[in-house]
Amino acid sequence: MALLEASSLDAGYGDLQILDDVDLGVDAGEYVTIVGPNGAGKSTVMKSIFGLTAYMGGSITFDGEPIHGKRPEEIIRTGIGYVPQNDNVFPSLSVIENLEMGAYILDEVPEDRLEWIFDRFPILEERKSQKAGTMSGGQQQMLAMGRALMLEPDLLMLDEPSAGLAPDLVDDMFDRIDRINDDGTAVLLVEQNAKEALRRCDRGYVLVQGGNRYMDTGEALLGDEQVRQDFLGG
Amino acid sequence: MSAGTERGRFADVSIQEVIGWLLLAVVGLLVLDLVRQVLVGELPLGRLWAFTWNGIVDSLYIGLAAIGLSMTYSILRFANFSHGDLITTGAFTGWTAAYLVGGIGIAELSSRLLLRADGGAQPGAVGMDVVSAPIAIVLGLIVAAALTILVALAIDRLVYRKLRDASGITLLIASVGVALALRYIIALFYTTDTRGVVASSPQWETPAFVPIETINLHEATLVISALSLIVGVHLLLQYTKLGKSMRAMSDNKDLALITGIPTERVIFATWVIGAGLAGVAGYLIVLDRGQVTINLGWFLLLLIFAAVILGGIGSIYGALAGSLVIGLTINLSLVWIPSDLNEIAAFTLMIVVLIFRPDGLFKGVETA
Ligand SMILES: Nc1ncnc2c1ncn2[C@@H]1O[C@H](COP(=O)(O)OP(=O)(O)OP(=O)(O)O)[C@@H](O)[C@H]1O
Ligand SMILES: [Mg+2]
Repeated sequence: MALLEASSLDAGYGDLQILDDVDLGVDAGEYVTIVGPNGAGKSTVMKSIFGLTAYMGGSITFDGEPIHGKRPEEIIRTGIGYVPQNDNVFPSLSVIENLEMGAYILDEVPEDRLEWIFDRFPILEERKSQKAGTMSGGQQQMLAMGRALMLEPDLLMLDEPSAGLAPDLVDDMFDRIDRINDDGTAVLLVEQNAKEALRRCDRGYVLVQGGNRYMDTGEALLGDEQVRQDFLGG
Repeated sequence: MSAGTERGRFADVSIQEVIGWLLLAVVGLLVLDLVRQVLVGELPLGRLWAFTWNGIVDSLYIGLAAIGLSMTYSILRFANFSHGDLITTGAFTGWTAAYLVGGIGIAELSSRLLLRADGGAQPGAVGMDVVSAPIAIVLGLIVAAALTILVALAIDRLVYRKLRDASGITLLIASVGVALALRYIIALFYTTDTRGVVASSPQWETPAFVPIETINLHEATLVISALSLIVGVHLLLQYTKLGKSMRAMSDNKDLALITGIPTERVIFATWVIGAGLAGVAGYLIVLDRGQVTINLGWFLLLLIFAAVILGGIGSIYGALAGSLVIGLTINLSLVWIPSDLNEIAAFTLMIVVLIFRPDGLFKGVETA
């Protein structure tokens, strides 16, 4: 059974419907990518899973439990971690305080989990008491991931983690995502860097105008002539 | 053609800068004049010190109130025009409690309950000073905080909670309505008469090694209470989970929601802290000035806004620093202008700062 399953999902903002009949699934431990043109609704899919949009129909289940219509503070407890596309750290809080906020719903900060995160992102330990707002874009992305991993989620949703990174850091970011996935966390990734994302993932969706157009393994999508021409720039 | 563009550019680039530089020059000249006056002995050092000290005292109660205003701005995202009347609420409720307890057997119940609205026994007769009625005064302080918090929470429940997703302007307008309602409900019971409610402050003759001869005990109470509360708020914000989540929410409300921070609980805490401090500020101002008046908080609100804006809106450390600047300005300006005009100095300074540093003096230096 799929870990995350969205069926015939309709959602939007206010009265404005953006997602139309979206089907999407992520298995436990799987690495799934969503690609598509600007404004296709990729971020809206993630926001809808996390209860941040107006739900308009269809269903979303996580671990077999329906989660559509639930509020973010309930969804975070089910085991989904979410790194939004923009403004994903608290700039005036220090690195360690940002990570502590990631574990807000726990009574105590889980020290062993903190170690686990520092092990994967050593820079965060080095910059522990630095204000997040003064860090570079790449470091902020790592902090945002670290924050979302504090509760040991079964699924990590990343919305364009490589946006705005210097080219030599993009690969590094993808490597880190691989490692998180290798440790058993399922990953749902939205990426502008579509080719690289499809190369690395297990499965990919192409989202166009609020609906999913193609779904296949990453390799198959990369090999598909139509997809290449329309969405991957040849 | 080109001259026209030049002139247009000249006009829109520099008109406010010209004003800014002129005002800045005036401020600079005044500072030089202050130095001159001290050097030639026109302004005795004792008087300069008295102005400075009064500035520090004023900045402390302005600061107490400014913390709350800044917090509501950054967490609830609106400029709360009813904050001043929370100060007034604290002043009236707190002193009523002090009179109820301290005035037993001295003044009529109705006179105590309505804070001498009827004239009634003189404050001196009731013994309203920190030496003769310490318990009543401390109790009043606690009641001022507690009841102001209750009033703020009730207002939030009745008005602001329904407007959580409304724009800052809508909330601002609602808060003006709340301010008026609150003030006139208080006036309904306590009347609009200004009256003395505190006996003159006992003085403490200091031992010989202290450079100051006497200490005004009411002023000292204000200074010590305000400083302890400010330190307390600082510790709370920096080192407790609640404080960190408050800072997180003032940084980014949406992210706070995603992180699982209970935003309503943070808002609750914001009212408790902000209103508590405002109530205490109102109570302490009356202790220092001796008089209570219905417009106490409303008149102060402009200065508090000035302090918050000077410091960079939304940062409590900025608000405190802004309060110090405002407190010193309104008092030092008395060297040149009469006291009923001294607020002009504060607002002129605010305009100068905003021209050159639109985000406030301390934005980017301190955050919270
Ligand atoms: N808060 C909002 N209110 C109203 N409409 C919105 C909102 N956020 C996004 N939209 C609209 O929803 C549509 C999908 O936006 P979304 O951000 O999901 O696209 P995206 O695929 O993530 O694009 P990008 O690659 O630019 O991040 C767009 O037309 C956008 O204008
Ligand atoms: Mg997006």
